[in-house]
Amino acid sequence: MATAPKEANKAAQEILLRVENVTKVYDGTVKAVDDVSLTVMKGEIFALLGGSGCGKSTLLRMMAGFETPTKGKIFLANQDITNLPPFQRPINMMFQSYALFPHLSVWENVAFGLKRDGMPKDEIAERVEKMLSLAQLNQYAKRKPHQLSGGQQQRVALVRSLAKRPQLLLLDEPLGALDKKLRESTQLELVNIIEEVGVTCVLVTHDQEEAMTMASRIAVMSEGYFLQVGEPDTVYEMPNSRKVADFIGNVNIFEGKIEEDEPDHVTVRCPECVHYVGHGVSGHSGMDVGVALRPEKIMLSKDKPNSEYNWCAGEVIEIVYFGAHTTYHLKLDSGKVIKAQELNNTRDLSCGLTWGDRAYASWSDLAMVVLTQ
Amino acid sequence: MNSASNKIFAKAWMAIVYLFLYLPIITLVVFSFNDSKLVTVWSHASFRWYAALAKDSDLISAVLLSLEIAGLSALMSVFFGTFTAFALNRYKRFHGRTLLTSMSSMPLVMPDVIVGLSLLLMIVSVQNWLGFPERGLFTILLGHALLGTAYAAVVVTSRLREMDSKLDEASMDLGCKPMQVFTLVTFPLLVPALVSAFLLTFTLSFDDVVLSSFLSGPGYSTMPMVIFSRARLGLNPTINAVATVTIAVVTIAVIASSFYTSQQERKRKREEAQAYSNSNK
Amino acid sequence: MAKKQSFFTSLSAGRLVVIGVPYFWFLLLAAIPLLIVLKISLSEMESTSISHMIDWSHGWPRLTLNFGSYQFLATDSLYFKTYLSSIKYAAITTLLCLVIGYPFAYYMARSPKHMQPTLLMLIMLPFWTSFLLRIYAWKTLLVSNGVINNILISLHVIDTPIEMMNNSFSLLLGMVYSYLPFMILPLYANLSKMDMRYLEAAADLGTSPFKAFWLITVPLSKAGIIAGSMLVFIPAVGEYVIPELLGGSSTLMIGRVLWDEFFSNNDWPMASAVAVVMILLILVPMGVYNKAQAEQMEGK
Ligand SMILES: Nc1ncnc2c1ncn2[C@@H]1O[C@H](COP(=O)(O)OP(=O)(O)OP(=O)(O)O)[C@@H](O)[C@H]1O
Ligand SMILES: [Mg+2]
Repeated sequence: MATAPKEANKAAQEILLRVENVTKVYDGTVKAVDDVSLTVMKGEIFALLGGSGCGKSTLLRMMAGFETPTKGKIFLANQDITNLPPFQRPINMMFQSYALFPHLSVWENVAFGLKRDGMPKDEIAERVEKMLSLAQLNQYAKRKPHQLSGGQQQRVALVRSLAKRPQLLLLDEPLGALDKKLRESTQLELVNIIEEVGVTCVLVTHDQEEAMTMASRIAVMSEGYFLQVGEPDTVYEMPNSRKVADFIGNVNIFEGKIEEDEPDHVTVRCPECVHYVGHGVSGHSGMDVGVALRPEKIMLSKDKPNSEYNWCAGEVIEIVYFGAHTTYHLKLDSGKVIKAQELNNTRDLSCGLTWGDRAYASWSDLAMVVLTQ
Repeated sequence: MNSASNKIFAKAWMAIVYLFLYLPIITLVVFSFNDSKLVTVWSHASFRWYAALAKDSDLISAVLLSLEIAGLSALMSVFFGTFTAFALNRYKRFHGRTLLTSMSSMPLVMPDVIVGLSLLLMIVSVQNWLGFPERGLFTILLGHALLGTAYAAVVVTSRLREMDSKLDEASMDLGCKPMQVFTLVTFPLLVPALVSAFLLTFTLSFDDVVLSSFLSGPGYSTMPMVIFSRARLGLNPTINAVATVTIAVVTIAVIASSFYTSQQERKRKREEAQAYSNSNK
Repeated sequence: MAKKQSFFTSLSAGRLVVIGVPYFWFLLLAAIPLLIVLKISLSEMESTSISHMIDWSHGWPRLTLNFGSYQFLATDSLYFKTYLSSIKYAAITTLLCLVIGYPFAYYMARSPKHMQPTLLMLIMLPFWTSFLLRIYAWKTLLVSNGVINNILISLHVIDTPIEMMNNSFSLLLGMVYSYLPFMILPLYANLSKMDMRYLEAAADLGTSPFKAFWLITVPLSKAGIIAGSMLVFIPAVGEYVIPELLGGSSTLMIGRVLWDEFFSNNDWPMASAVAVVMILLILVPMGVYNKAQAEQMEGK
């Protein structure tokens, strides 16, 4: 699921956007964004990921200039833009529902921002042509937005916001209005166009897959503040809290206590099993922790593993076939249900397990993450 | 009640109501072609009353005055109504917002006699104070524009409410200053609503008799005022002729415009369908 | 920072104009005139020459309140009777419009989708013909030698003409005729939005269609009923043209009293006092209407 981080080290690490302790309070009571700080490097695609109402759009709108922060400052290339109106910021935004001007043609939509800058006519024409061909929309130049399909509208919105060559491009749920199938192909198309132009992006999404495939770094948001900021694989493989682990992908969480706390390993005793974690953690023995284990890291078999640690047994209560893999729901003796995901790497379906079978789940000692929060 | 008899009942009910609504209009038109001096007794068809209408200089000048007032007051109504709609729609919090809301709906709910009386008393006060305005075209215009502003505000507000506020933001994002947001985006999108507000307030003005009676001065009689004074005295076939002419004009305009919009709609649908089929290639 | 300044000042200047223009307009033409009506209703007949009453030379005019007009209004029972009869006619008109309009709006909302715009346009179309002309047309229909009597006599249904003009019947007919669309439109707007699944659910639970109508459709269309009733009742109370043309001298309506006080008796304080009491009378239904409107807005 997680692709390789996208050339995160490519550009010399130059800070483009800096958000400092920004808070936004609506109506004196609703804290939509709560003391958030972040930096976005030049050339980066930075994703804000979080559930509905967590404040992603509010944060993005403050970057665009549609909202002023209640507290804190925003810098773009070391210039304080906190109070700069949107039309004076070298930042452009692609809107959630595209917000294409219905009374203007595709061509005029793309040219709209350039005309405001007073660019000479022939230069505008040249730039618009270039933008349209980038999105493969040349033949639709004369159409009005309502005469385009959803995917075409989405591309018009993208190149419209790129036409002014902004220093920073903001995308609010860029694929939110598309159906699932179109989404996947468009994701890559979008990233290609963005990389071709080489613009820095901040992207808002509630879809973790979208964030994983498109972004070089992800900030996971909840209730107005950041839970974790990091590269997609870090956030996925090393979530720093139960919330992050739960939000990104599927996860089984075992609650338990640290028993042995050694520099090179720890053991965690849970009601279901004992986890032997092959690296040290910041904790102490006796501490209550959660052990997060991704379903794809679990191996299932009918035979009891001959190890002391890192396995448990249960009854198969559900089998969900996904094509490329199959997910088994295992009801452990304690009553807890865990999910295990097996690759279907042969056409001989399943590892011989069916409903009601007793199965053993086991995993390696580097498969899990100990969560102290 | 079974469903078949139910359906018949429903159709009959609707037909009777429509008949009720159109009966007087049909009568007006039919009897305008009546040759008899008695409006209500049919003798034979003729254009006699249209000829009389053509010579009726009082009525004709009243019609011209009404058209002038209706046109001007509709323009004023749309202008101030748009401001009102913007103030109430775009600024959710300001001091006295409730007062503006209730003031702007006052002309909608107050009986015409009260609106007319209060405006007249205000104008007389100002007259005594400043020496103007004289009662006449201008004062009628003020009254009609007040009433029209309230209606126009309703029409424009409903359009503003369904307009995507993201469009304003998008234009600002692309470099529009607040004034340009209005001239380049909001206004062009508002035009259809402004047109319907104009038509509505034009008809309101063209139709008004009470406000005009309060506010007009000597020598300024609008068409409804003339018709009203004649109708009070008795029946007059020239009125039927005037009625038929206005009905004809309005009917043609309404049918033409609805035909035009349905054509546009069909065209739009077709192009949309084409766009989708193209994009799936 | 200079840029920031210009942005916010220009924004607030724009804001000032956008709010200021309509504010000024309505203050001048709606609020102040009503206050003047109130003021004049509290002054004496002799000082109606406005220069006496609004004495700007002393700065703010001295208020010498004179309740004479109100006293007269309270003592002469004719006024009381007229108010009562205006309310009675307005209430009957509202009820008749509801009885005729509700089934109509209901059937309209249930007719095939593609028909509805046309049906709606047919309701609105009479609006575009002068209201005055349509009332005049009823006069030609209703008078004793009018179209209806002539037809009935020629068909030998009756021998002598029926008296249909200048009485409560003609007044109510004119009022119902004029205000019916104002009842139908909000009802239709409400009923056409109503979710049919409620009715299906009710049928599923074994409710008879008639009962379902009373238990579900009617309560759900409460907002439409209130809006329509108020849109009919409020202007009907103060109606002047219809009683003048169709009502004759026997039907008492307060709008005509106001008109006569003003135009025939030239008694401005009295006309103003009549207006003030009328405003107080329609304030209650107006409040109900505004509340219902506000609730509907919230609901959306
Ligand atoms: N203009 C506003 N006035 C008051 N509260 C607001 C306003 N805009 C947003 N909020 C509140 O701020 C919080 C964050 O909203 P925001 O739009 O940033 O969420 P989001 O993360 O973008 O959610 P979604 O994924 O649903 O778009 C929400 O609780 C919302 O109700
Ligand atoms: Mg959002």
